[in-house]
Amino acid sequence: MKLSHFFRVLYITILSFVFCAFKTLAVENIDERVKNLTLELRCMTCQNQSIYDSDAEFSNDIKKIVKQKLQEGESERDIKKFLVERYGEYILFRPLMNYNNIFLWSFPFILLIIGLFFVLIKTKTKKA
Amino acid sequence: MNRIFILTPLIVLLVICIFSLVYLLSGKDPNKPPSALLNKDVPIFESSSLYNAKDIIKTKDIKNKKTLINFFASWCSPCKIEHPLFFEIGKKYPELYLLGFNHKDPTSDAKKYLEDDGNPYDFVGVDSDGLIALEFGVFGLPETYLINEEGKIIYKFMGPITMDILKNEIEPLL
Repeated sequence: MKLSHFFRVLYITILSFVFCAFKTLAVENIDERVKNLTLELRCMTCQNQSIYDSDAEFSNDIKKIVKQKLQEGESERDIKKFLVERYGEYILFRPLMNYNNIFLWSFPFILLIIGLFFVLIKTKTKKA
Repeated sequence: MNRIFILTPLIVLLVICIFSLVYLLSGKDPNKPPSALLNKDVPIFESSSLYNAKDIIKTKDIKNKKTLINFFASWCSPCKIEHPLFFEIGKKYPELYLLGFNHKDPTSDAKKYLEDDGNPYDFVGVDSDGLIALEFGVFGLPETYLINEEGKIIYKFMGPITMDILKNEIEPLL
């Protein structure tokens, strides 16, 4: 009887421990996600600082919103979309990959192709 | 032919430099990015009056009337600078609806501020948690928005409004 009571207590203790561990992990996971996302966001009131690194009121508000939305189960993409709709693409350190930014994303490759083209021409003329 | 190939990268570089220079000299302040909400519908909001919590203003209440929305707070020093101008705007354009949003301010401080400096607004809404400001994309006080009769944001200004801005930028839109 006493032994079964002991196992019951042990079972409850283990369950509580597992529950607490999962809860802590979930909180850490959310905080980590908040950090990762806010590192990609620009503090609009600071000079070249991310929202994560800034203690400005604007940044603290955005950190709160991001955390709340992540806890509600929204995806990082949805949160970025929500912020871009209100603050514009300027809030993102990395410009979006869309039609408007096609030149921005493709320009380095265009330069590379032009460069390779000139190197080829130069080596051909040297050989000739 | 060879000379053209050598000169082309230089020409491309020169064109890029000219474009950059034109952008830099165009007077655009990179610290004041254009509003993402410009020419878009005014965000959905609901706010109670600073003086009577039962008195509510909603987005639909400002439809069909030109509205000037100003986000202010008693703790915001630049707001004090522009404050007298709203009396002038109200006098000059009585048909313009002046809506003030008191941002993250204790009610008593906001009331005292408007008592001392006067209340130029037709309605003072409370934005205690800053959620209305978030919907409008506000990131520093004061900020002012002009909404047309169709409910679209046609102008946004970040910082205190001056007489020059009023004359050159806001009045032509009224």
